[in-house]
Amino acid sequence: MSPILVGPLAVGAISTVLALIIAVLDKVLNNYGEVEISINGGEKKLKVKGGSPLLGTLAAEGIFVPSACGGRGTCGACKCKVLTDVGPHLPTELPYMSPADIKENIRLSCQVKVRKNLEIELPRELFSIKKYRTRVEKIRSVTHDIKEVLFALESGEIEFQAGQYVQLVVPPYGEIKESVQRAYSMSSVPSGRRHVELLIRLVPGGIATTWVHKYLKEGDAVELVGPFGEFHVHDTPAAMICVAGGSGMAPFKSMFYHLYESNAFPEKEIWYFFGARTGKDMFYVDELRALQEKWPRFHFVPALSEPAAEEHWQGETGLITDVLDRYLQHSIPRSEKGWEGYLCGSPGMINACIAVMRKNGITEDKIYYDKFA
Amino acid sequence: MKQSPADRQAFERMMPGVITAQGFLGKDVRSPDRIIAEDELLFRELGLDFDTVADRLEELARKGEEGLGEPITVGKLLIQSGEARGKLPCPWGDGFFHKNAVSVSPADIPLEACAEGEDMLIYSELSIHMLRAHHFCQGRGSPFRLEPALLKQLLF
Repeated sequence: MSPILVGPLAVGAISTVLALIIAVLDKVLNNYGEVEISINGGEKKLKVKGGSPLLGTLAAEGIFVPSACGGRGTCGACKCKVLTDVGPHLPTELPYMSPADIKENIRLSCQVKVRKNLEIELPRELFSIKKYRTRVEKIRSVTHDIKEVLFALESGEIEFQAGQYVQLVVPPYGEIKESVQRAYSMSSVPSGRRHVELLIRLVPGGIATTWVHKYLKEGDAVELVGPFGEFHVHDTPAAMICVAGGSGMAPFKSMFYHLYESNAFPEKEIWYFFGARTGKDMFYVDELRALQEKWPRFHFVPALSEPAAEEHWQGETGLITDVLDRYLQHSIPRSEKGWEGYLCGSPGMINACIAVMRKNGITEDKIYYDKFA
Repeated sequence: MKQSPADRQAFERMMPGVITAQGFLGKDVRSPDRIIAEDELLFRELGLDFDTVADRLEELARKGEEGLGEPITVGKLLIQSGEARGKLPCPWGDGFFHKNAVSVSPADIPLEACAEGEDMLIYSELSIHMLRAHHFCQGRGSPFRLEPALLKQLLF
């Protein structure tokens, strides 16, 4: 044998032997056998195979804790209370933990491994969350960077409140070698229980949005997990002051058409401020103006921040916060029923709207929002 | 060049699926230390300084936030600032950074006509940190690569 080959072959052989030893040791040392997870004081008890992170172990048993990063510990969404001592918080958990969280032993379920019997606490709402198999029934571009995607459930029905969201399961594609999940508000009405509609804006460099815009086709099989979220219409007579931009339209579309078709909360006046940069970023304008025509308590105020001269835009102009401020001061009647704020968008947009609403007398406990982050 | 254990660990964490699904190296076949060395050379040739570029990217990100989630024109640039839930650790382990994505492109080219990495820069708080602290622009083919020539063309 050539002496040139001896070195590489020897290194290869040693590496193979070491890999085998590691694999055998892993089997022996990391075999935790069957363990029990007791949830909410024994309300649910699961017998599971130990050794995997809590997040995935629960998901395999049909309990879906929200997560936006696929279990890498980078979203901080999958918090749950662990009553059993599972050791100190990991460095990967600490950026998401307040001192109160640490004291209460709140953990990121993606970072806690199931190595022994565990007692945990989870919000009861999570028990009704399911994974749905769907087919893409229709994809429509509503602007140059927002697609409206309609998913038909392959079986069963989904029950949700207008304003809630689902997690879209993105399979591996292109250079992306693993599945990821991202949260999107549902834009469909709760009465359409066999369908879910999402509005998805292309984010440059975004894994899920790139998949939807460049890979997803009508007829494709897609999994959705949900419903999640606390954003919903509150049962009061107060007028709704709603503000959104871009794909933040989604939960409001669901809320408005649900309120319209069910005539729920008939005392509520509804004001909807929708901001976009130019006319080509604006969508559903004709549809929402038609709704306004036939539904007197609905008032639609679209606004452009940078309208192009050739667009001959006749509506409001300026940042949506400036338009909102003008309307709250001069156009929206004040009554003893009061106002409530409903916001959907980026944290920056939400914070700016909260400041305007507070300045105009809406207290922060009456401002509800769905932050994109 | 011999890698330090810290660098070796950082480079392992740049692979797809560790910190982010895409990783930080794109389709680049060069080792990360070679990427850094070659980008440092490009910066010198282009007369760029890592701190000055990082400062400018931070300034544009702040201006982009004024668009409240929508694109906003700042001089000859169109900036869009988007945010996502959570934080990303630096592969070198020296901090956690809010997940966001800022895109910067020429205002006279429609956003939909811009190609990532060719006439559009995409970056995050973590990108700025890695640029400033580690002189790491990410590998070619990574959507978040800060291509030195494009930095020069768009930012200055």
